[in-house]
Amino acid sequence: MLKIVDSAVPVACWSCSVARNASTLFCPNCSKIQPPATGDYFAVFGLQPRLNLDLDALEREFHRLSRRLHPDRFARASDSEKEWSLADTALLNDAYRTLKDPLKRTEYVLKLHGAEIGEEHSGNRQDPSRAPADLLEEVFELNMQLEEMRMARQMGDDDPEAAKSLSEAKRKFEGLLQEVDRDLRAQWTAWEEGGDAQRQTAQKQMVALLDRRRYLRNLVRDVTETLGD
Amino acid sequence: MAYSDKVVDHYNNPRNVGTLDKSSQEVGTGLVGAPECGDVMRLQIKVNPETQVIEEAKFKTFGCGSAIASSSLATEWIKGRTVEDAMAIKNTDIVKELALPPVKIHCSVLAEDAIRAAIGDWKKKNGVAENAPAAVESAK
Repeated sequence: MLKIVDSAVPVACWSCSVARNASTLFCPNCSKIQPPATGDYFAVFGLQPRLNLDLDALEREFHRLSRRLHPDRFARASDSEKEWSLADTALLNDAYRTLKDPLKRTEYVLKLHGAEIGEEHSGNRQDPSRAPADLLEEVFELNMQLEEMRMARQMGDDDPEAAKSLSEAKRKFEGLLQEVDRDLRAQWTAWEEGGDAQRQTAQKQMVALLDRRRYLRNLVRDVTETLGD
Repeated sequence: MAYSDKVVDHYNNPRNVGTLDKSSQEVGTGLVGAPECGDVMRLQIKVNPETQVIEEAKFKTFGCGSAIASSSLATEWIKGRTVEDAMAIKNTDIVKELALPPVKIHCSVLAEDAIRAAIGDWKKKNGVAENAPAAVESAK
């Protein structure tokens, strides 16, 4: 479980003892490297936690911090500082990879806000609305078709009709995937700009959209694999 | 992560893979999905209307090894049980039997859901109330 650390709570810099924000990788006063940050990924970059994120600012900060963390700069530093530069680099890379990807960012932000996403939240009984029956039927049917085609191929029997209908299905599911992504972005704004009630609704919607997306993603992956393109 | 021997065995030799006639009065079908990973599982049962014993159980799962093993084991376990007995199977039993790691517990949950969905479908078809003990034209 992620924890939200109030980044307004300062900690003292190990070197100059001046209070600093616990999320920064460098002391703003003496510029010395700090142990890995305890705040959220956004704070590492000094950014506000937003779904509609300024990606240019994220990239700029990532490159700037990467340069400052380069091992060459710590060749003559203390052992602790060397160690921190490696740990900070790992954290920076994780944070960057998570935040620049719209889906990972959405999941991350929702988890920060208590949404139960991911395979670790399994034992809990799911809200049945999270697996709409019509989608399941469709996903199941397409999987059956895929398997038939795979088996036919193994027997050396390539049915052009089957390949054609699979290509059509692939296009359809890719379209549905794009639709989900569009819907997700629409919810970002509702989540960020709405009141409490609107925010809760948007959060639920996003969790459902992410669920739907996983089924579709698997399908597109498997169809692509079978078609071999 | 390494799969346990039992998972590998069920994965390599899945029991009771297949399809039963969905339209048959005696067949219940459960189609469930795990949104965490996108796996889908269909489990079907064929119930003897006299004895309410599950005489046939078939499954088809598109998912990871643990999901396939969980559903394979589930069909093994429910075969020969009465509908009521089958309802008593818990996902934790499956976790224990297959030694599933925590990240794969949802596969066992999926199998339990599939059993319940199949039984629920059969009850609906045969006019048995969801919560009532299964008793089709009960012998007095």
